[in-house]
Amino acid sequence: MFMNGKYLGSAVLAAIVLLQGTVKGSERDGPASDPLDPTPYRLRSAQIGQRDLPTATGTEFNPAISVIVDFTYAHITEELDDPPGFDLGGHSHSHGHEHGHGIEEGFQLREVELTFTGTVDPYFDAMAMLGFSDHGVEIEEAFITTRMLPWGLQLKAGKFLSDVGYINKQHMHDWLFADAPWMREHLFGEEGLNEIGVQLSWLPPLDTYLRLGAEVLQGESEGVANYIGPGRHEIVTLLPDTAGAPERNRWRADNGLSEKEGPRLFTGFAKMAPDIGMSHALQFGVFGGYSRAFQQEETHSSGRLETWDGDTWFGGVDAVYKYDGQGAMGHRNFVLQAEYMQRRLSLDYRSQQFADASNFVTTDANKQTWTQDGLYVQGVYGFAPRWNAGLRFDALGLTNDGYEGRGTPESFDASYRYTGQVSYAPTEFSRLRLQTSYTNMASDGHDHSDSWMIALQYNISLGVHGAHAF
Amino acid sequence: MKKILMIITVVFLAVTAHARLRVAATLPNMGMLAREIGGDAVTVRVMSPPDRDAHYLDARPSVMVALRRADIVVSVGAELEIGWLPAAIQGANNRRVQPGRPGYFEAARKVELIGEGKPADRALGDVHPHGNPHIYMDPERMAAAGYALAERFGMLDRERADQFRANAARFAQQVAGRMDVWREQVKDSPGVVTFHEDIDYLPFALGVPVHGYIEPLPGIPPTARHLRDLVSDLSGRQGVIWTVDFQDGAAGEYLSRHLDWPAVQLPSQVPIDGVAEAYFAMIDAWVKTLVAAE
Repeated sequence: MFMNGKYLGSAVLAAIVLLQGTVKGSERDGPASDPLDPTPYRLRSAQIGQRDLPTATGTEFNPAISVIVDFTYAHITEELDDPPGFDLGGHSHSHGHEHGHGIEEGFQLREVELTFTGTVDPYFDAMAMLGFSDHGVEIEEAFITTRMLPWGLQLKAGKFLSDVGYINKQHMHDWLFADAPWMREHLFGEEGLNEIGVQLSWLPPLDTYLRLGAEVLQGESEGVANYIGPGRHEIVTLLPDTAGAPERNRWRADNGLSEKEGPRLFTGFAKMAPDIGMSHALQFGVFGGYSRAFQQEETHSSGRLETWDGDTWFGGVDAVYKYDGQGAMGHRNFVLQAEYMQRRLSLDYRSQQFADASNFVTTDANKQTWTQDGLYVQGVYGFAPRWNAGLRFDALGLTNDGYEGRGTPESFDASYRYTGQVSYAPTEFSRLRLQTSYTNMASDGHDHSDSWMIALQYNISLGVHGAHAF
Repeated sequence: MKKILMIITVVFLAVTAHARLRVAATLPNMGMLAREIGGDAVTVRVMSPPDRDAHYLDARPSVMVALRRADIVVSVGAELEIGWLPAAIQGANNRRVQPGRPGYFEAARKVELIGEGKPADRALGDVHPHGNPHIYMDPERMAAAGYALAERFGMLDRERADQFRANAARFAQQVAGRMDVWREQVKDSPGVVTFHEDIDYLPFALGVPVHGYIEPLPGIPPTARHLRDLVSDLSGRQGVIWTVDFQDGAAGEYLSRHLDWPAVQLPSQVPIDGVAEAYFAMIDAWVKTLVAAE
């Protein structure tokens, strides 16, 4: 139905175009030439409408608005839990059941994203992105960037996706696959490293691209900076009273976690790109970060509370190569990108049990160092105009040192995922993608479980086309 | 100490006073214009090669390198570079080239555009609400933009403002001379069909009829139905089929076979270091195809 409409539109427009072509052609016979007139040019320019409009690209005070809608249908053979080493605190979110961008079984309107961008005044640009989903409205990003700092400096402040690595700061519609690489999802958090804070970046005036940056962030991302803070742990039990009727017993004690005011997370990154010609682009990055706080807790129905409280270091490298194949609509373009990162959690572990209704006694305590890593490699090639196909390899927990039970060191297995996608983009405003993946996920002990997923994604953008950052 | 400071100051002033303006040009044609207007008072770095569609470029890191140290960015504007230039400027951390500053120049803002005020409706394809941005295919519009660029260069380097104006006048003079010749050459030309609404600026400027476009809508690749429509509408008439080097030539060849019109595929940009001569040669190559078709 939609297609018919389009063809009808094409026919009408073709007619209009033909009509305009001939009308304009006759209208626009240039001014007659006069060999005796030596400097007629300014006059002629005036005739073709020389003028001087201000250069602001025009939205007449309104911010540029775009709406992105993402719709998926998926079939997943087996819903898998997070792999060991990445499920600290029993925090097992079958992907997407929270408010991330995971793909769920069946039809799913993953997100409606509303983006506003504009120039605030001569000093600041701003952007705000609101995500509407079944889980409500969420501010995905809302930040300002400076326009007028000297010496190649730029400051960014607000809520934003950190610039560490390559894929972290990309939004769902920029991904070359329907979902995010595991590295972003499991090592940073469901929504990547998306934090409130400030970023300072510097481009030295060199002939080679170098960008250095540092960020001071609140520290909330669950993969590297999960924060709970001091609070009460409470459970309620029902026991028969002397007459056998249920009586409520309230058990309540301090969780023992330390208080750490934000900002808790500090990151740094460097990106370097040699100039390798107009058809190629290559960028390497290194990044790292430290979080003053990483806290996690797991509650048991027995009343026991396990807590982990410490800090985190993380670091990684990223590389991306892009080839501009000069074909129509992405034909022959090629992108190869890879990232690796590792995190190290240094934690005080405590297992506490109620001594009475309002006090804990520590039953086990030790120091734990958890080390996990993850990587992905992906390549996408435009095999025809409007079409591309890509493969992605994800590995999680190649190094995967953690603890079992109440403090037995354990090296968990690695998990792997293999993904392929084919996508068709009729214009740059809409895209249809078919993706399939096979997951081999480590589970407790040295078992593995597998799962297949097949997903169909439809992603559209309405309104202003935002420029794509590299 | 005072003496040393003074010497340093004098040397610094001397150096900066005679420093060349650093220009980052989005396309080779804009680089050409900057070289013509700036002469030896500017150094020009062109950010994209001639054989690429300016709609679909990337904000590559080397583009940001060019913008980082530029005193002025010279662009076509009217949203032609909207897919990459705003992101590149934001990533270049250079306050001199921010939109609204003298170091941000859009040529299309200085001349009237074809198709201004058309409905901004994407059902009509990838339309540019400000009008057709590809003004570089009209030498007279380029000359007009040259005058505006001379004023802008003059704001950034006041001592040489008159030199820039003289350069603009000289370029316009050259254009005027050529346009007279070209108009005379094509006055009986039966017309053209172009692939996209880009190079049609040239036939409009020369008074040559434009019979249609190979794309059914701007940015939408040709469909079989649209090509058949073109063939049935245009059969029995005369003309030339124009496709730019980076566009798909197959549809033009199809029309050529069915209409028995010559199909040509030529560059619409000068070589990356091109000056006016290269620009006139590029335009002349297109004009020649009209002359041959008469």
